[in-house]
Amino acid sequence: MSQIIKGLNIPVNRVEGDLEVRVDVVDHRIDNAWSAGTMFRGFESMMVGRGPLDGLVITPRICGICSLTHLSAAVTALDSITGITPPDNAIRLRNIALIAETIQSDMRQAILMYMADFTNAQAYRHHPLFKEAVDRYQMLKGTSVLEVIRKTKRLIEVIAIIGGQWPHTSFMVPGGVTSIPDTAKLMQCRLIIEQFKEWFESRVLGCTMERWQAVSSFKDLENWLGESPCHRNSEVGFFLRFAWKAGLDTFGRGTDNYISFGNFPFPRHTGVVPLNQINDKDEPGKRQNLVLTAPGFATGITPRPLDPTKITEDVSAAWFEQEKTTLHPFDGITRPYASGSSGEKYSWVKAPRYNSVPAETGPLAEMIMDKVPLFHDMIQQKGASALIRQLARMVRPASLLPAMGTWLNELMTHRDAPFYTSVKSIPDGEGAGMVQAPRGALGHWVKIKNRKISHYQIITPTAWNGSPRDKNKHPGPWEKALKGVALKNLENPVEAGHVIRSFDPCMVCAVHTLKKDGTPHKKFHTGWTF
Amino acid sequence: MKTVYWLQAGGCGGDTYSLLSSDFLDVNALFNTLNIDLLWHPSLSSLSHTSHRKMVDQITSGKIELDILVVEGAIICGPAGTGMFDTLNGRAKKELFHLLAHQAQVVVALGTCAAFGGFGVDHAIEATGLQFRKKEKGGALGAGFRAKSGLPVINLAGCPCHHDVIAGTLMALAGDTPLELDKFQRPLEWYSTMVHQGCTRNEYHEYRIEESDFGEMGCLFFHMGCAGPLVPGPCNKLLWNRHSSKPRAGVPCFGCTDPDFPRAISFFHTPNIEGIPLELPRGVNRAHYMVYKGMAAEAAPDRLKKRSSKV
Repeated sequence: MSQIIKGLNIPVNRVEGDLEVRVDVVDHRIDNAWSAGTMFRGFESMMVGRGPLDGLVITPRICGICSLTHLSAAVTALDSITGITPPDNAIRLRNIALIAETIQSDMRQAILMYMADFTNAQAYRHHPLFKEAVDRYQMLKGTSVLEVIRKTKRLIEVIAIIGGQWPHTSFMVPGGVTSIPDTAKLMQCRLIIEQFKEWFESRVLGCTMERWQAVSSFKDLENWLGESPCHRNSEVGFFLRFAWKAGLDTFGRGTDNYISFGNFPFPRHTGVVPLNQINDKDEPGKRQNLVLTAPGFATGITPRPLDPTKITEDVSAAWFEQEKTTLHPFDGITRPYASGSSGEKYSWVKAPRYNSVPAETGPLAEMIMDKVPLFHDMIQQKGASALIRQLARMVRPASLLPAMGTWLNELMTHRDAPFYTSVKSIPDGEGAGMVQAPRGALGHWVKIKNRKISHYQIITPTAWNGSPRDKNKHPGPWEKALKGVALKNLENPVEAGHVIRSFDPCMVCAVHTLKKDGTPHKKFHTGWTF
Repeated sequence: MKTVYWLQAGGCGGDTYSLLSSDFLDVNALFNTLNIDLLWHPSLSSLSHTSHRKMVDQITSGKIELDILVVEGAIICGPAGTGMFDTLNGRAKKELFHLLAHQAQVVVALGTCAAFGGFGVDHAIEATGLQFRKKEKGGALGAGFRAKSGLPVINLAGCPCHHDVIAGTLMALAGDTPLELDKFQRPLEWYSTMVHQGCTRNEYHEYRIEESDFGEMGCLFFHMGCAGPLVPGPCNKLLWNRHSSKPRAGVPCFGCTDPDFPRAISFFHTPNIEGIPLELPRGVNRAHYMVYKGMAAEAAPDRLKKRSSKV
């Protein structure tokens, strides 16, 4: 007879904010999963009625780890309302700071948040690499942990030089940026980036970025790993060896739909080449609207152009009041509806959908849109998994660092060119700021009326990845990815943690999230953790 | 050995990310060298949930001594005072907060949300600070609250709090060094000088060379909404991430250490009458100040008027 356990509650720590996942387990396998954040912060309603520039100050404070990305979405929406394209130097400075933030997030997530689970003695004490994992990843003591704390802190200095401080600066303004660092400071930035690149190559990859980019298939990856002890002992090499042995490539597949808004718009004059053109020589090189990482929606590994009008938020399973179940974010509202009860509603995250289907977002989605051969091949061979998703995050800096360096060199050459175009006031109108945050697609949809913000809706990456069911009963990406995951030890369901963390959840960003006391499954409520 | 429990409430985690930029001591060295036993931190602990629960039970029953409780983020009381907008295992997190606060020797409110409520004070989530709601004493714990050591809540204001202030406070508490507090319970060590102090734009301020748009080098106080002369904080003295501060980079100070942050009126704008800000630098005499600024503007040297300096 099957052993059926319903409604087990699994709180997840080491994510930004609070997250609890409820699962039904049949014979040690997850049969169904529901994901709910446990905090409502209501940022969107705080915005309405405020001055048009106030989103630049308030929205970065939604998230302590990717505050610049919110700033960038907010300023992009305002740039689109004013119709003024910022000068080249402003675009370079914004991009360099954003890349620094993305890379610190990738490295901290991987080493401080993800790999900490490899030190879980109950799950892994018999894993042949367990002792080494503890040496590397033990909290505040492991060798890799200490290195990542030191190296990411240095990289963040670039943001402080450009924008004054991190986190929570507001140096991006409509029309450009508030200042340009003097040449001496730009030289310091160059050294900081150079030193970071050296560390990333020697310790994280174990090889040069060029050598890594030559790894273009699953077979290549196996060969790369066997090629030298530097590769095997790097963070990427160790991760692969530990994760393969632990089977992380065999579960956590997800929806097979991917979405990316693309990021890092190009200055009019630049030597940087879009990543999808590097990887696919047939990609037409349009000179307009060039971006480093391509926007798109993909089913499997086939990217298609992104049509922003197809984005909706669905409240079928979410505790919000809305006249229609699904609305575009220019029409949607965020009004918590904390009374009444129905079996359909179980979560306090709205469900973002593209053309009515759920989609995952993040570094893996970027690799698919940018046609990175290694990830296309791995997905074709085995489908997505916790391992592939995490690998994409760890190696993403290899795609971003070269562009960062080029833009910095261009800044030094054109130090005296403009970095700001005066924008005296923000006209009435509406604009969308759609960018790619460290965790994936982030959008701010803004309307200005009578010189005040009249509408502000935000869809965060974690809303895409951690969304609940929609009107078609489709589960969100990590709910889907959890289905079928085998839990060896029900007391210590570390496998479920690997899956959820591979999406890099950021619950403080899921600004809609709210959990109401007493869910339909409360009677089965049991406290569990990863 | 001092024990620390770090509770994340209604906030963004930004103070933790600020602390990761601590430089005089790396964050790991801070805890290891100061002999601080970090019982729990939501991002830096790998304790299992079961063990965590047991530990919380032991702290609240007094079996584990809690020396320092650090709270990051506001206490969320909505909807209708229930606190259910922020829960842990189906219970309002504010209940856990109260249990811990009454066991701790010292309670630290880290960041403006924890200190004064910050974002969400006037909104549906009914946010409040630990011992203040904006300027009004009381907050979640009440005006008369004292931690076991006899100290009121220590408010480390800022959005986020400066990394060196967090590290410095932990050093002081680990070594039993007393911290003198101002009327909003912020340590004078870091909150007795204005943010303005040390700003590279001070010479422009001195001669009233004002900017009314972004991208210039002059003072941001008169038109651009800079709160540097109005609120205390070490941003221009200690600098951020070893290098800079917002005003140095042309971003006005938003006054994030103030109990009323975020202010209700629009940012990037100084409310003024005839070009004179309604709110003048802390403590000045209005009439004297206006005469002084008029004369200073007359005396301004050309090199400043022409913004010929590099910064």
